[in-house]
Amino acid sequence: MSGPSTTTAIPTVRIRNLQVNYRVPMYRPFPQRPQRGEHESWLSFAASSTTFVARTLMSLMAPLSEGVVRAVDGFSLDIAPGETVGLVGESGCGKSSTGRALLKLEKVADGTVEIEGTDVMSSQAGTRTLRRKAQMVFQDPYASLDPRMTVRDIIAEPLRGLRAELSARQRRERVASIMLQCGLNPSDGHRYPHEFSGGQRQRIAIARALAPSPQLLIADEPVSALDVSVQAQIVNLLSDLQKTHGLSMLFIAHDLAVVRHVSHRIAVMYFGRIVELGSAEQLTERPQHPYTQALLRAVPVADPNTERRKTQLLIDGDLPSPLRPPSGCAFHPRCAQATERCEQDPPLLKIGKLNHQVACHVAHDEA
Amino acid sequence: MTSSTALHTDPPDVASPDSDDAVLVVRDLRVSFHANTSLVPVVRGVDFELHPGKTLGIVGESGSGKSVTCLALMGLLPRARTSISGDVRLGERHLLHMSERELQDVRGKKMGMIFQDPMTSLNPFMRVGRQLSEMLEVHEGLSRRQAKRRALELMERVGIPDTGARYQHHPHQFSGGMRQRLMIAMALLTRPKVLIADEPTTALDVTIQAQILELIRGLAADFGTAVLFITHDLGVVAGIADEVMVMYAGRAVEKAPVRQLFASPQHPYTRGLLQAVPKLYEGGPLIAIPGAPPQPHALPSGCAFRPRCRYAHDGCAEDIPPPVHTADGRMLACPVVEKAPFPTLLDDLVPTTPPPVQTSLDLDDDLHALPDEGEADAERPPREFQDDDPEVGS
Repeated sequence: MSGPSTTTAIPTVRIRNLQVNYRVPMYRPFPQRPQRGEHESWLSFAASSTTFVARTLMSLMAPLSEGVVRAVDGFSLDIAPGETVGLVGESGCGKSSTGRALLKLEKVADGTVEIEGTDVMSSQAGTRTLRRKAQMVFQDPYASLDPRMTVRDIIAEPLRGLRAELSARQRRERVASIMLQCGLNPSDGHRYPHEFSGGQRQRIAIARALAPSPQLLIADEPVSALDVSVQAQIVNLLSDLQKTHGLSMLFIAHDLAVVRHVSHRIAVMYFGRIVELGSAEQLTERPQHPYTQALLRAVPVADPNTERRKTQLLIDGDLPSPLRPPSGCAFHPRCAQATERCEQDPPLLKIGKLNHQVACHVAHDEA
Repeated sequence: MTSSTALHTDPPDVASPDSDDAVLVVRDLRVSFHANTSLVPVVRGVDFELHPGKTLGIVGESGSGKSVTCLALMGLLPRARTSISGDVRLGERHLLHMSERELQDVRGKKMGMIFQDPMTSLNPFMRVGRQLSEMLEVHEGLSRRQAKRRALELMERVGIPDTGARYQHHPHQFSGGMRQRLMIAMALLTRPKVLIADEPTTALDVTIQAQILELIRGLAADFGTAVLFITHDLGVVAGIADEVMVMYAGRAVEKAPVRQLFASPQHPYTRGLLQAVPKLYEGGPLIAIPGAPPQPHALPSGCAFRPRCRYAHDGCAEDIPPPVHTADGRMLACPVVEKAPFPTLLDDLVPTTPPPVQTSLDLDDDLHALPDEGEADAERPPREFQDDDPEVGS
């Protein structure tokens, strides 16, 4: 896939040090049930049992304190006009939070977001600009479309609010043309979402997002709810639309292979941070970060010979608890190459051996 | 349904060459759901057998009937609202004719199962150790102490660290991957002959998925368990299955040993699926199958894949293609391809190669349009609301 023109001075989106925090109620640890043998008499056992029940109920109702989870922890990224950046990572790594925060669907704790040079995070006016210039496609096309609105109304709705200068006639024409572009038949405009299959619904969601002609499209797992045969249709549609409209796109997905097909650049996220960022080819073919390497090797390939040749590919363990993030590099407890330094020093994202950015001490030392 | 003129289908019991050591034999399994006044056919005649230590993978998209097949085997479909016919034999016993009580004994003891979501299969109020050991007490009559020892052993075998403490924990204290390990321990506790795994890794991240697949592979080999592995992911099936059955709209369209299926898929649907899978080391547009899978209550006549098939011709609308066993040991349900097999996966992508059948009504568009020219979906309208060719990208 040929790269977009990265020479343009202003990126469509400039994200700096984005941070999203979630407050999580913390409860008392579940109390140990009193044992009969520990008591002198039935009476004291019954009493302690009652206390146990009361304490358990109380601890279930009243949180002890509030913990803070840093879902997105200092996320910086530029997306050039006409560029697609894929954002991948395992569940809980903060990729969806990032996408939602960019549209102010999550409260942003810190950081700036500029769209075509205008700061959109701090002011009311900024929010209006943001809504006009950035749109989103959600994962579940069954939940993201209002079942009581016709397709035509669903697609026209953002136009009413964001492109108020359009006349009713212009609006109708725009809806019809965007439906055509998304592979929908405009004569189906009077139908309701339930009359469409999953893939068709996702087309409707894409049409709705593109109706107000945004500069940035954020697609949050747009194909993971779809079957393989239909998934390919939607992936192709998004790529084509991105090219014809010159859109910038942030494509969020857990499936590296899908991301590889649509993206110019790929960012790998782990524990709220980007750990590696590079061109799609380079990142998939010559990954630098041990996490990216493990992720790539874990992706099942539709070829029995390749699959069976894989030996000891596993990284052990699960994602650590976000309430108790590991010190230093967040990946070090699962990393085979971790050194003492990795346990103390969080690595920075910088150019490594190849011409792309990686946040890993080991990769930096090799460079 | 048209009654075909007794085409060469395999006689149910005799012909299959290797059914002697099969632990589970399924013949002409059909499942229909009762809907208001009509019957909706969901599984429409499926045959397969499972062999000790071997894994049969069933792949298909949602609605292809793969999960219903496995629920029917386990007797887990509501009897009042489903009609099941066919023959399912576990050793000497016919599962479909069993009473609920007899089934209880088979489930868990002779057949273990793992589902997609381990949290809904574990009792949230019970410590996990107890859930495991209870099974042994019920099915094998072990004492509480013996059961605990066996349960701890198996927890360790499935890779749960610190089993002593973990034995006392509740399911919510485990991560998704660990819960799936627990489910596997539970399913294999009584050393069943058959393990049915219905999308066991779909809810997991790829790194965890790889661990769980490795575990299932290892355990099945060690215990000699026959595994029925259901998934929608062709990559997963490539890694775990010995034999693969591809299902579409309630029927098996192709079944072959795994390497053979991936090296030279024959059925147009199998080929379409394999071509539509995103590849990790290739960019660019994907080759999609136009349209969407049919609804079970509105199946097209004849071959269910016909409306989406680029090689379909008039004859495909007449009869449901019967499964035919070809010379290379594969089962194929497509008379068109059977006459003119494809050598390799990418053959029909080269536009100069003529497709095996020339007499086709609406092939014109498909022949000239390279699949990667933008919207493959729009090439053929599968439903009435897709009539116009949208010409995206021009």
